[in-house]
Amino acid sequence: MSTKKHKVLVANRGEIAIRIIQACVSLGLDFVCVYTRADEASGHLALARSLGGPNAAYRVSSYHDANEILAVADHAGATAVHPGYGFFAEDFRFARRVAERERSLIFIGPSWRIIRSLGDKINTKRLARSLSIPTVPGSDRPVYDELEAEEIAETLFAFQAEQGISNSVVLVKASAGGGGMGIEEIYDIEQFKTVYRRIRNYAKRQFHDEGVLIEQRIFDFNHLEVQIVADRTGTGIVHFGTRNCTIQSTGRQKRVEIAPGFRPQEVDYAFDAEKLMEDIVGYSLAMAREVGYDNVGTWEWIVSPTGQPFLMEVNTRIQVENGVSAAISRVRGQGGVNIIAEQIRLGLGEPMGYDQSNITFDGVGIEYRIIAEDPANRFTPWVGRIDQFLAPTLPYASLHTHIPMDEPYEIPTEYDPNLALAIVWGKDLAEAKKRGVDYLDELTLSGADGTGTELKSNVRFLRDKTSTILQF
Amino acid sequence: MLLVIDVKALLENIKAAPYEEIVVAAPHTGTVTFAGIETGAHVTGITGAFGEKPGTLLAKLTRENNDKPLFANAKGVVGVVHRELEGRFVEAGTPLVVIRHYLSKDEVIANILQKVLYLFCAPERAKYYFIPSIDKKVKASGPRSVTVKPGLELFIVSRMKREKPLLYEGPEGIIYAVYFQHDQNVDQGAPLVGVCPADQTDLIQDVVNRVRTDWEEKE
Repeated sequence: MSTKKHKVLVANRGEIAIRIIQACVSLGLDFVCVYTRADEASGHLALARSLGGPNAAYRVSSYHDANEILAVADHAGATAVHPGYGFFAEDFRFARRVAERERSLIFIGPSWRIIRSLGDKINTKRLARSLSIPTVPGSDRPVYDELEAEEIAETLFAFQAEQGISNSVVLVKASAGGGGMGIEEIYDIEQFKTVYRRIRNYAKRQFHDEGVLIEQRIFDFNHLEVQIVADRTGTGIVHFGTRNCTIQSTGRQKRVEIAPGFRPQEVDYAFDAEKLMEDIVGYSLAMAREVGYDNVGTWEWIVSPTGQPFLMEVNTRIQVENGVSAAISRVRGQGGVNIIAEQIRLGLGEPMGYDQSNITFDGVGIEYRIIAEDPANRFTPWVGRIDQFLAPTLPYASLHTHIPMDEPYEIPTEYDPNLALAIVWGKDLAEAKKRGVDYLDELTLSGADGTGTELKSNVRFLRDKTSTILQF
Repeated sequence: MLLVIDVKALLENIKAAPYEEIVVAAPHTGTVTFAGIETGAHVTGITGAFGEKPGTLLAKLTRENNDKPLFANAKGVVGVVHRELEGRFVEAGTPLVVIRHYLSKDEVIANILQKVLYLFCAPERAKYYFIPSIDKKVKASGPRSVTVKPGLELFIVSRMKREKPLLYEGPEGIIYAVYFQHDQNVDQGAPLVGVCPADQTDLIQDVVNRVRTDWEEKE
């Protein structure tokens, strides 16, 4: 089947649904999207209808219901499903069901066996260790037994004491969690029981899985990523560079992403940053080749202040921050790289068509996640009505948002209050930072909640943090 | 402070329109096949000591080769059947049947008690859970086994995967009614629990007795 004859069901919402729809249009593909009652005002629905007509969107009860997604796919005649990020993106059972049902569809993502082996933090850790790739010390499988978990925590405290770390910290994490949710620190073993039980109960409520991971906390770390892109042959594998996602909320959720991961030309580091980036890219590619990786994915790393990398996890999906890597990437010298379009094209079976030697990088990209939240109050989500959202149109910047610009928008409480992603580019770090601050200064964002309280957003936080970008 | 209400007047108000219109909508996408129900037919709701007997079959929704039966969730009289949707693929939320449901004695009691009990309401739209120790007690012995007083940590508020505790504020008393459901969002200002202060027990008993005597249930 020719790639052009495919119809892609967009099984997601918000800005990622918009970017998938736009990528489909750029590839000349048909699409259909889904939406819920809470998302009737979302820009992804309006865009789908404006580009695809009234039948380009189906109302479903939930984005989490596989039966809903597949019933719509059948009725709409879709031949492929793009899960975006979150929801079904890393659910190997869903990917398997999509590919192996009677009326099979293409899952735009890695094949289900790869999601199964790498989508789980524990399996990833085991595989990495088997390839001598460094990983964060701690449990290598979800722990369901309190005594066993406590023993692991005791071992980690003892290990840190041996290493001469004066303020030892151990992390207790919900195994099924992600995006910084369900993680707490303990500072001595006396705190363990209370925190363990709290995380276990949280995990049960939110993810229906009580599994907990116990890991060593790495202090003052930088969070780096390697963007991998591969075709279905499992041999056409390239990378689109590194990203730095160290600027996070107190709940360890990413707020600013920068590509490349370090900038030794402009910032001094206590270690050889160029070599470190080469090392993590090399490790990530080796692991991708080992499993025959066959779509886009991100290898996430923690880097210690001495420049020691530890593999944290692999995200077997497109990431929110894919656009910042695209902003600095050139293929055969050409800009305008769209990693989501590449994901769809390669997912539908087209060959890569280029290799690593054709990919170059130029300048620095910064992505800001603009969110309705209160940074002064532990980044508590703010829910209310957006009355005005205006952003400058500049040649070096792009904005991805599902918030309508021409009418008020009520943020649904069912989903995270993400408002937009702003990506700016500069020829070097100094220019990118200056342009980033200028862009944020020109944003207009206003609104109020049901009690009349003014909209809270993280724009000021993003602006203030720009000065610290890529410093370590 | 002792609350005084006119139970008779409240009952007369309810008697003026002793029913509610329940719209049965498609809970999800699927192809509709109506059961043999017609306008004016009597239907039953969920019954049985444990709610184990489903109500009258209204329709089925088919998707992914699975049939989902849609039962009446309350007894009443069928007002509208959207026959034009027969055999069509519908989206979630599409209205299929309207049932005129006549209020039962228990529903009338619950309705009036909302005016007598102290209603502790949701401060924001979110999902609410009792804290684990109270949840256990409610499951084991019912909500009326729980005594609340100001400052008691009563709920976990869950919104956008973030959780925080919620302390009870209001008069000391027992939880008489629970108005939220597990894993369901509660709108801001909607009641979570109805608390019966010790000095209101007689009034509540009076409401229950009056309704049991004066209310005649319609089929």
